[in-house]
Amino acid sequence: MSVEIFTTVMTLASSLVLLAGIAILWRRSLPAYIHAFARQSFFIVVAVLVLAARERDRELVLVALLMFALKVVFMPAALRRVQRHVGADADVRPYVNTPVSLAIAGILTLVAYAVAQPVVALSHLPTRGGMPLALASVFVGLFIVASRRSALSQIVGFLVMENGIALLAVLATYGVPLIVELGVFLDVLLGFLVMQVFVYRIRDAFETTDVDRLRSLRH
Amino acid sequence: MLLIPLLGSPLLAAALSWLVRPYRRWVGIASASLSVATFVIAILLARRCLDGAAIVLGPMEFLRADSLSAVFALLVAGGACVSTVFGRSYLDRERSDGRLGEDRLRRFHALTNVFIFTMLLAVTAHNVGIMWVAVEATTIATAFLIGLERSEGAIEASWKYILIGSIGIALAFVGTVLGYFDFVARVGPTDGALNWSVLVRVADRLDPDIMRLSFVFVLIGYGTKAGLAPMHTWLPDAHSEAPAPISAMMSGALLPVALYAVLRWKAVTDACVGDGFTDHMLMIIGALSVAVAAALLVRQAHYKRMLAYSSVEHVGLACLGFGFGPAGLPAALLHLLSHAAAKSTVFLLSGEILHRYRTTRVSGVSGLLKTMPLAGGLFLAGILGLLGLPPFGLFLSEFLLIRAGFAAGYPRLTGFVLLMVLLIFISLLGHVSRMLYGSPPEAIHRGDLPAARYVPIALSLAILVILGLVIPGPLASLLRSAVEVVYG
Repeated sequence: MSVEIFTTVMTLASSLVLLAGIAILWRRSLPAYIHAFARQSFFIVVAVLVLAARERDRELVLVALLMFALKVVFMPAALRRVQRHVGADADVRPYVNTPVSLAIAGILTLVAYAVAQPVVALSHLPTRGGMPLALASVFVGLFIVASRRSALSQIVGFLVMENGIALLAVLATYGVPLIVELGVFLDVLLGFLVMQVFVYRIRDAFETTDVDRLRSLRH
Repeated sequence: MLLIPLLGSPLLAAALSWLVRPYRRWVGIASASLSVATFVIAILLARRCLDGAAIVLGPMEFLRADSLSAVFALLVAGGACVSTVFGRSYLDRERSDGRLGEDRLRRFHALTNVFIFTMLLAVTAHNVGIMWVAVEATTIATAFLIGLERSEGAIEASWKYILIGSIGIALAFVGTVLGYFDFVARVGPTDGALNWSVLVRVADRLDPDIMRLSFVFVLIGYGTKAGLAPMHTWLPDAHSEAPAPISAMMSGALLPVALYAVLRWKAVTDACVGDGFTDHMLMIIGALSVAVAAALLVRQAHYKRMLAYSSVEHVGLACLGFGFGPAGLPAALLHLLSHAAAKSTVFLLSGEILHRYRTTRVSGVSGLLKTMPLAGGLFLAGILGLLGLPPFGLFLSEFLLIRAGFAAGYPRLTGFVLLMVLLIFISLLGHVSRMLYGSPPEAIHRGDLPAARYVPIALSLAILVILGLVIPGPLASLLRSAVEVVYG
């Protein structure tokens, strides 16, 4: 694969990752959020596999497989199951409406370009063009957490952010050392499972997953 | 070889607690004894690291402890020791009251020990990525511990904690990736590239712009875990809703562990950037934390939240010390040690107060010195310690901090912080005197726990007094060599 094609493929994958994240901002139902997250994870897996093929790196293949199992298959399925159990608590009333959300996503992307500028300048890797897009996904994920009311949507936002970081690590350094990568996977998985347990507890205690109702401690 | 038992004993305790079913009382005793053993091992480790020696273990020097690690290991193991030994009273009572079933007791012990293990791993891991994994794991272990009582408040607090904590720590990982990226781009991919001793050594070859960016992410990320303002919003909820022994450890030990991670990155960033960049950031965020704590303490109606905001104040002060250069660092480390001793004391006793008065409101507690003379007296001593009065350790450390601030050439900032500390002093003393004096509610049961139960608390107050009178010679050399670790 020539460098030009490789660069194009990686930048395209990064754009799709960001786009899948932003898609959450205009969709209005939790199944759509989960679908967008699964799709976003899939684009990252593709990017990692392309990179692994180019670098002939077995560790990256392992990372891609783990990521596929965890973020494309397991987590979306688990989220759907939780959503069925806690009921159709669709996020129809986010704190911020769609046009404003999209405008903010645009601003966040610009900020990401500004912040990542020294990083791109230093890098010699053909993948460097995608780094601001990965950072933008991190910011968009953060915004999703801040602007949604349902605990499940907040989990999706957190996972989008996590995806952005995973992509950033791949683009910037062709992946962090395997031992760290495995530790990160373990933490993300455990953190996800704990969050899932708390969604049930919130529902049992408050009879909703609208975190706006969690205000007894504000004093 | 000290590192294996240091990390092994909390792991062993966790495994015991998890595997022995149903819960048996001896498991609790074994777990408390192992935490005492861990503390003794941490002291031995500190003795080994006094003169700047480092202990390494494992392939690619997976674990590495130097004097800076030793200071924090002491603090973690000490806080854990006091909390688990005194915590036995809490657990026995919750069990006999029927509020904690066998299953939850088992889980409590297992998770508490996992929590202690992850903190110790964070301060002895050589690889900053593994350090990150360990700090993140503390969030996971403690989320269930905060929510142990499953009240609405506890669930709300745990949710905020795990969400804000995970996001913060994710941002710290962005910082870690940027640092690694800088290393790979400038030095090339090598084994052990994320080991902090390697990062510090090659720091002058790294790109300063990237390191500044990386440090911003690291400070915001780990700063969230450390409860620094404005990322502190989860802290008062989590620390006030958690069971008393967990509040004690989260406040005394976990907040400093997050600051430890910041310090490791500060050493790398300073060696690369070379100017006062990190110092200024730390001073701003530290002063802001002290100011926010002061503002929110004035009208605080709940005593556990009051203690939580006091933690925001003290991590803020430690941060300022980190920013005040080589004279500020030992003062800040001393401050964290004293704070751990004082804060575990008062948080553990706040559990006793809560159990007796059945309210978290300051206004609901009166005549504490009459209802529980011993616990009330110790609580008063702990609070006076927290306020920085002599002869307690925080007096000395705050004095050294303020002096370092003036000596470093920041008279206005230091003056402002001093003013805030004074404000906190007045409001905290007002709240606490309302609790201690007056006539107790009519129906309340009077009397303390058996005196022997208070031994761990009395010992930690004794340490606090010693730290206020003199810095023992070995501790002084430990702090000196910790300064060398950070400032080279």
